[in-house]
Amino acid sequence: MIRKELVAASAEPMILALLDQGESYGYAIIQEIKARSGGKLQWTDGMLYPVLHRLEQRGLIKARWGESESGRKRKYYSLKKDGKQAMQTHHEQWSLVHAVLSSLRKEQHV
Amino acid sequence: MYNLEKSIADWRQQMHAAGIQTPVPLVELEAHLRDDIDQQVRSGMTEPAAFEAAVQKLGQVQTVQAEFEKVEGAKATIQWWFLEVTLVLITTVFPLCMCRTVLHFKPGYLTDLTPSQKTSSLAAIAVFALLAWSGRLGCKLFPVICAKRTRDIVTALAVAPVLLWWLIFLIIIVPRHDFDMAQFTMTFLWGFISPAGAMLGLVWGMEAAARKRSAVSVP
Repeated sequence: MIRKELVAASAEPMILALLDQGESYGYAIIQEIKARSGGKLQWTDGMLYPVLHRLEQRGLIKARWGESESGRKRKYYSLKKDGKQAMQTHHEQWSLVHAVLSSLRKEQHV
Repeated sequence: MYNLEKSIADWRQQMHAAGIQTPVPLVELEAHLRDDIDQQVRSGMTEPAAFEAAVQKLGQVQTVQAEFEKVEGAKATIQWWFLEVTLVLITTVFPLCMCRTVLHFKPGYLTDLTPSQKTSSLAAIAVFALLAWSGRLGCKLFPVICAKRTRDIVTALAVAPVLLWWLIFLIIIVPRHDFDMAQFTMTFLWGFISPAGAMLGLVWGMEAAARKRSAVSVP
């Protein structure tokens, strides 16, 4: 299982990247992340919503109320222009971390 | 016989009691809960077991509420600073501009303000600023109203009589008097501007009192 600090830190870039692929809602976001990580990245479901609200407040994503297939009220989120920019920044930073870790690992094996 | 709707209603009550009282997070969390229950039932779980599992996955309500409070707290801070800056500008820049107008009152074709009219007009402007600032500086004397909705109602109750008075002043009182420009300026400042100071003072003091309390309660 991945440490909760890393889970928390990666939540924002992952939500932004996921919403870059199209509009989505809380439950679907959690399911998608779970599926893509093979169940290793598990969020506490309720904690996703404060993160979504914070991103909305910062103007990175926008929300609209819609209806589910069963006619229930559902809040859909989508990425805004500033969100794309923030996602790009996150991507560069995480790539840098990944590159540094990879190079250090390679040196250890040499 | 298990009643899922009753279980969800009880859960909603618990969330409400724990502090998630604004409708948006609660509706959203309930939609999530129902989606999860539907999914679990489709994969073969019984309704009671699916409900319990979905509630557990949502996490501890106090932790979720604490996160929502952080978001709401940041929003409230931005709103408060916007209100504070606006009121500071209204109660300083505006009176200074009015003082300048009164002291340099030269309408040309109408009578100039007499020294006593100037003094009276300046006093009206000072009363406006003092009433407004006394609310801000004396906010400790105001009752702390934590609920935003209640504060909005009090604000509406403070604004309504002033608006009514302004209408009476402009529609009934002013047309019945043959004011020259100097008299109108003085009457306008006492009748129109000074009451606004009382209204701003009340709203400012109430918001500042609520803000101070919330700043203390956040660790």
